[in-house]
Amino acid sequence: MSDRSEADRLAQESALARLVRRPEAGAFIVMIVVVTMITFASDFKAFNALGLKNNLAIIAQFGIIATGAALLMIGGEFDLSIGSMIGFAGMSMAMMLKWGLPFGLGEATPFLAFAITLAMTLSLGWLIGTIVVRSGLSSFIVSLAFLFFLRGTTEVSFRLINQSTQISGLPDFKEQSWVAWAFGGEMFGWVYDAWFALGGNINRRGEQWVDGFDARVLWWLIIAGVAYFVLSRTQLGNWIYATGDNKDSARANGVPVNRVKTSLFMFTAFCATIFAACQVFDTNTADAAKGNLMELNAIAIAVVGGTLMTGGFGSVIGVAFGAVTFGLVANAVFYIPWLDGSFYRVFVGVVLLAAVFANERIRKRITGGI
Amino acid sequence: MTDPYLRVENVVKKFGPFIALNGVNLEVYPGEVHALLGDNGAGKSTLIKTLAGVHRPTSGQLYIEGKPVDFRNPRDASDAGIGTVYQDLAVNQLMSVTRNFFMGRELKGPLGTLKMDVMDKIAHDEMLKIGIDFSDPTQAVGTMSGGQRQTLAIARAIYFGAKVLILDEPTSALGQKQQMEVLKTVKRVRKRGDIAIIFITHNEIHSQLVADRYTFLALGQVIGAGKAGELSHDEIRRLMAGGAEMKDLEGELAAI
Repeated sequence: MSDRSEADRLAQESALARLVRRPEAGAFIVMIVVVTMITFASDFKAFNALGLKNNLAIIAQFGIIATGAALLMIGGEFDLSIGSMIGFAGMSMAMMLKWGLPFGLGEATPFLAFAITLAMTLSLGWLIGTIVVRSGLSSFIVSLAFLFFLRGTTEVSFRLINQSTQISGLPDFKEQSWVAWAFGGEMFGWVYDAWFALGGNINRRGEQWVDGFDARVLWWLIIAGVAYFVLSRTQLGNWIYATGDNKDSARANGVPVNRVKTSLFMFTAFCATIFAACQVFDTNTADAAKGNLMELNAIAIAVVGGTLMTGGFGSVIGVAFGAVTFGLVANAVFYIPWLDGSFYRVFVGVVLLAAVFANERIRKRITGGI
Repeated sequence: MTDPYLRVENVVKKFGPFIALNGVNLEVYPGEVHALLGDNGAGKSTLIKTLAGVHRPTSGQLYIEGKPVDFRNPRDASDAGIGTVYQDLAVNQLMSVTRNFFMGRELKGPLGTLKMDVMDKIAHDEMLKIGIDFSDPTQAVGTMSGGQRQTLAIARAIYFGAKVLILDEPTSALGQKQQMEVLKTVKRVRKRGDIAIIFITHNEIHSQLVADRYTFLALGQVIGAGKAGELSHDEIRRLMAGGAEMKDLEGELAAI
């Protein structure tokens, strides 16, 4: 009879081994490689004052929707309607700003346009979630239906009311409205002020070149920060993991599985709305095609960030790394003249496949499968 | 003589025309292991689901400490101190021991934050009490053995106030050594003296190793019951097989 117990079979690991095993480890390594490659290939242009601003703008866009998609995937569902929701929300806000509130209720302020739009998108998120949990249908097919439905609704509404699927030349609301400024303005000006003071950030005329980051960077940091906190430190986070891992055992232990899922669908709708608001108030334009394919980018980033397709496992930090990687590669064409822009999709394909294999290994190791 | 914690009186459960339970009586005492035996289809699962609040009896009555109770849902049953550990254990493989232990009943600080340190310690201590020393409460349940998962599920049920612990075939689907580990856990829980255990199995050897009292079910009816000392091994085998003589069955088998 040996003295060994079951617990002895779990080898004690070093801190480094633990770090490498974390879900975001792979995403971190890929990010470091991409940052290094792009830094040198672009001759450091990707990270000069303007490059950093532009790169972070797209990174933040990716990050906002990927965080929503990742939380939902950890909860065990997909949302393919994110991209169409972006188009719908953008249309809704721009249309109200141009043509006034619905039913002739007068002029729309940026705040009202945003609030009414958010109420609509949250209701849509609730509807998608409710259909999924009530019917037991796959969220893939339900949200696919909303992908078409919302994009179609967006285009039809644009043509009916606006006679065109684009709105441009909206007045710049950022000066008068703090809401518009909060979505479309510039933040963290002190970083660039400090950079200028230290002798960088100078344009050809010798003046300060860039004034601040896009507001969406702040939104990304807030959304990712809150998502990280909720997922790892709160009861709701434990419920999200439990729901995505095995909803039957979660339910048997008293987790309100349906409410968790419905809230997560509302959260992806929220993220899509923030994405759209930042776009509308930054550029003062809207287009029925906005957000096209963004749902797939969001899912790809979530997977590259270490989120399992089968739910129950993932990391908000990994998703942030994934967003940095994807954003840099998507923008790389602007800094590396010889690069064909379509290499972005080649890159996404390769990295996505590699990530799925890596995640599957993690899952098998945890669940004891071979 | 102490009073039974849980008493089942003439419980009938019909699913449409099908009579799953036909007037079952059962008494469960604290500090005792009550083995519930019967072949497949005998009504064991229906009975435990009735006790766990999943099904409501068509007629008959359940009593907790002598008071009639009516469970409308599993929450009612668990509030009344009935903790059911199902075969699938209701654990999530990808989540840590602590997160599983407190799933759905997390300890919260301000803003709904988890008191992770407190929860880690409770999970560790509670599992130690019934036999597993866990060095790492952040370990994923997927890396645990079947017996350890069983222990986790049992410790969790006890910690959250189970006075009657229903173990649904805890030893099936486990290897020999793991089975013995689970039986050891069952005996440790029994030793506490305040918890009644309903042990469902169709392995008469396992039941004889731990049971104080037996109830045999066949075709929805109790066909025999008794205390451990009062039943012989052959009698237990006979009742296990639904009342048929084991010799006859062996004879029939040999004749083919």
